Amino acid sequence: MSNRLSGISKTLVAIVLIIIIVVAGVAVYVYYASTPQQTNLTVYALWQGTEEDNFKQALGNFTENTGIEVTYFGRTTEDLLVSVPQQLANPPYDVDVIIAPWPYWIKDNSPYLTAVTDVITESDFPANIISPVKTDGTIWAAPFKLSGKPGFWFRDSFFQNNGLSVPTTYEELVATLLPAIQAVPGIEQPIASGDTDGWPLSDTTEGFIMGLGGYQLQLDLETGPSARNWTDPQVRNVFANLTGILEAGYFSTPADWEAQIAKLWSGQYGLYWQGSFITTLPEVQDVNDLDFFPFPGTTGVAGSVDYAVITKEAPHPDEARQLVQYLAGADAQEIMVKQGGFLATNVNVPNSAYTTIDSKVVAFMSQPGITIVPDLDDTIGGQWQTTFWDQLKLLWTSPSDSTMNSVLNALQTAAIEQQGT
Amino acid sequence: MMKNKNKNPFFFLRRFFTISRLFLIPAFIFLMIFVFYPIVATVYTSFISNTTGNFVGLENYNSVLFHGVYPLINGPNILQGVTPLGGLVNNFIWIGIHLPVVVFSGMFLAVLLRDVKGGTIIKSIVFLGVVIPLVVGGVLFRFILDKDAGVVNAFLSLIGLGGITRTWYAFADTALLSIILGSIWIWTGFGMIVYSAGLQGIPVELYEAAEIDGASRWKTFWRITVPMLRSTSIVVVTMTVLWELKIFDIVYVVTRGGPGGASDVLAYRMYNIGIFGGNYAAGSAIAVLLTLMTIGFAAYMVSRMSKP
Repeated sequence: MSNRLSGISKTLVAIVLIIIIVVAGVAVYVYYASTPQQTNLTVYALWQGTEEDNFKQALGNFTENTGIEVTYFGRTTEDLLVSVPQQLANPPYDVDVIIAPWPYWIKDNSPYLTAVTDVITESDFPANIISPVKTDGTIWAAPFKLSGKPGFWFRDSFFQNNGLSVPTTYEELVATLLPAIQAVPGIEQPIASGDTDGWPLSDTTEGFIMGLGGYQLQLDLETGPSARNWTDPQVRNVFANLTGILEAGYFSTPADWEAQIAKLWSGQYGLYWQGSFITTLPEVQDVNDLDFFPFPGTTGVAGSVDYAVITKEAPHPDEARQLVQYLAGADAQEIMVKQGGFLATNVNVPNSAYTTIDSKVVAFMSQPGITIVPDLDDTIGGQWQTTFWDQLKLLWTSPSDSTMNSVLNALQTAAIEQQGT
Repeated sequence: MMKNKNKNPFFFLRRFFTISRLFLIPAFIFLMIFVFYPIVATVYTSFISNTTGNFVGLENYNSVLFHGVYPLINGPNILQGVTPLGGLVNNFIWIGIHLPVVVFSGMFLAVLLRDVKGGTIIKSIVFLGVVIPLVVGGVLFRFILDKDAGVVNAFLSLIGLGGITRTWYAFADTALLSIILGSIWIWTGFGMIVYSAGLQGIPVELYEAAEIDGASRWKTFWRITVPMLRSTSIVVVTMTVLWELKIFDIVYVVTRGGPGGASDVLAYRMYNIGIFGGNYAAGSAIAVLLTLMTIGFAAYMVSRMSKP
C-alpha cells in the first residue's frame, strides 16, 4: 500500500513539476513576445582606455538620437586577424559593425562585408583614404578617424633656449639643425626613435620616403612591385639618405615609444617623429610647449585611418548602416575630435572643433601641395608589415650600405611574396 | 530467467565493458574534437596551398625552412636574404647555450644549497623565475638590459665599462644572446628543484662509505652524486629541451624575433607567418615540424630513462 502511495506521489510530483516548467516557459515567452525588444548593435574595435572612452561618447550620442543601443567589445589584434575573419566566413554571428585600421584586411574580407558605397558620400573624404578600401567602384569601409604623421615634434622652449630654428630645406635639417642639436649639452641624440611594435620606425621612414621621393613614391610602394620595386633607384636614394643620418648617430637606439616622449621632454632628445596623438599623452607635460615641423619640402603626409565596416550577415543591417553613416558624418567626428589627439576624415568638420595644436596639424595636412597618403605598413599589412618593422630595426641598429642593401632586398622579397610582381 | 543470466560470467564482463564504454564516450568526443581533429587538420593544412587549397606536397616545408626573407643573425652577405632552416638555427643555438648552463647551474645550486642553513629560502628565491609568467619575465628583462634603466648597464658603468653600455636586446649581434641569458635566469630554478628532489633519493650510506674510504668531496660528487642523478638529469634535459624548442613568449615580448630576424625562433615564426601573415599552411608546416621534433626527442629520452 505504502509502495503504491509512494508511486502515486512520485508521479504526482513529476506531473506538477512538468506543469510548472511548461507554465513558466510559456509565461517567459509571452512576456518577451509582448515586450518590444530594443535593437542592440554589436561593435568590435581594438581600442582601450582613452580611445575607447572617446568612441563611446560618440556612440552615446548615436543612441540618444536614434534609440538604438550599441554594445562595444574591445578585441585584440590577433582576434581581428584570425578569429573574426573565421566568424565572418561562418555565419550566423552577432557582430554588426567592426572598426579596423588595416585596408588590406578590409579588402581581404570584402566577400563577408556589406558595401558602404551608398552609405557615405565619397566627396566628403580625401580621395587617398577611400581608394585603399575601394575595388571596382565599390567602397567597403567608411573612414571616420585619422591620425596624422605630420613631422618632427619638438619643444618650443628647447628650440628657443638653444637658439635653434625650424629648417626649411633638407640640407638645413641635416647640415645645420641636427649638428646643432647634437652640440646641446645633455643631448643623447638629436632624434628619438620609438620602438615596441616597429610602427614608430615605419612612420619615420614614411616621412623620409615622401619627403625625399614624393607622395607618389609611397603610393606606388603601397601598390606593390607591379608599380615600384623596393630596389628601385629612387627608393634606394631615400634609404641611402636615411642610412647616412643613422650612421652619423643622429637617431637614438629604438626604445619604448612612450618612454621616448618623456626623454624628449627632459631634453635628452631634440626631435621625435610621431603621430598627432602625441598631443594627448601624459608624458607631454605642457601641450602649449609642443610644436612640430614637417619634413622639409615634403609633398605628402601619412595618415592612419580607422575604418568602419558592416558585416554581410549583420543581425541588424539597417541599424548598422545608420551607425556607420553616423560615424562617417561630421557630427560624430566633431564630438570625437573635440577630445583631442586625432583628426576627422570628414572634410566638413569645422576647424573650430579642434584643439589649437590639432588645428595646426589639420592646417598643414589640408594645405595645397600636401597629399594625405594612407599609412604604408597598415595598407600592405600581413607578413610584409612585420618584416618591414623588423628590417628597419636592423637598419637602425646596424646602419651601413650593406645592411641597407640587405634590408631593401628583404623588403622586395617579402613584397613579391605577398603582393606579387 | 534473470537469475540464470546473472550467473553467466560473460554477462557481467559484457555489461562492464558496455557501461565503461558509455562513460568513455564524452571524453572520447572531446578528444576527437579538441585533440585529434586539430592534429589531423594541421597536418593536412601543412600539405595544401594557402591560397588555392590544392595539394602542394612539401612546398610549405620547403618555404619555411629554406625561403625565409631574414638574414641569419645579421650574417655575411652570402647568407642574407635566406635563413637556413628558418628560425630552427636559433633554436639550436638556444639549446647549445641554455641547456648546459641550466643543467649544470641547477645541479650546482641543488648540491650547494642541500645542507646550507637557509637554503630553502634561497631556493625559493631562485625558483621565483619559474613561477613568473614568461611574458612578465620578458618585460622585466627588457628593463634589466635597457641602456638607461637597466641594472646590467649600471653594473658595467660601476666597474668602469660604461663605454660598452647599450640596450643589449636591440642589436642584431647581441639580441639572441641577451634573451638566452634572460631565459637562464627564468629556467634555472626548475633544474635546481628537480635536482634537489633527486638528491633526497640518494642513500646516505653511500656517502658514509665513501667518507670511510677516504674519498674527497670532489670524487664523491663525480662518483656518487652525478651517477645517482642520472634519471633526474634525463628529466631535466628532456623538459629543458622541450621548453627551448617551443620558446615563444620571451622572444615575442623582448625582441619580436629581431632585429632582422637575429633572434627569430620556430614558434615565433609560426605565429608571425600563421597569425600575422595569414599563411595558415606555412604556419601549420612549422607546427608539424615542432611537434615531430618534440615527440621524437621526448621518445628518445624516455627510452634512455628506461635503460639501466
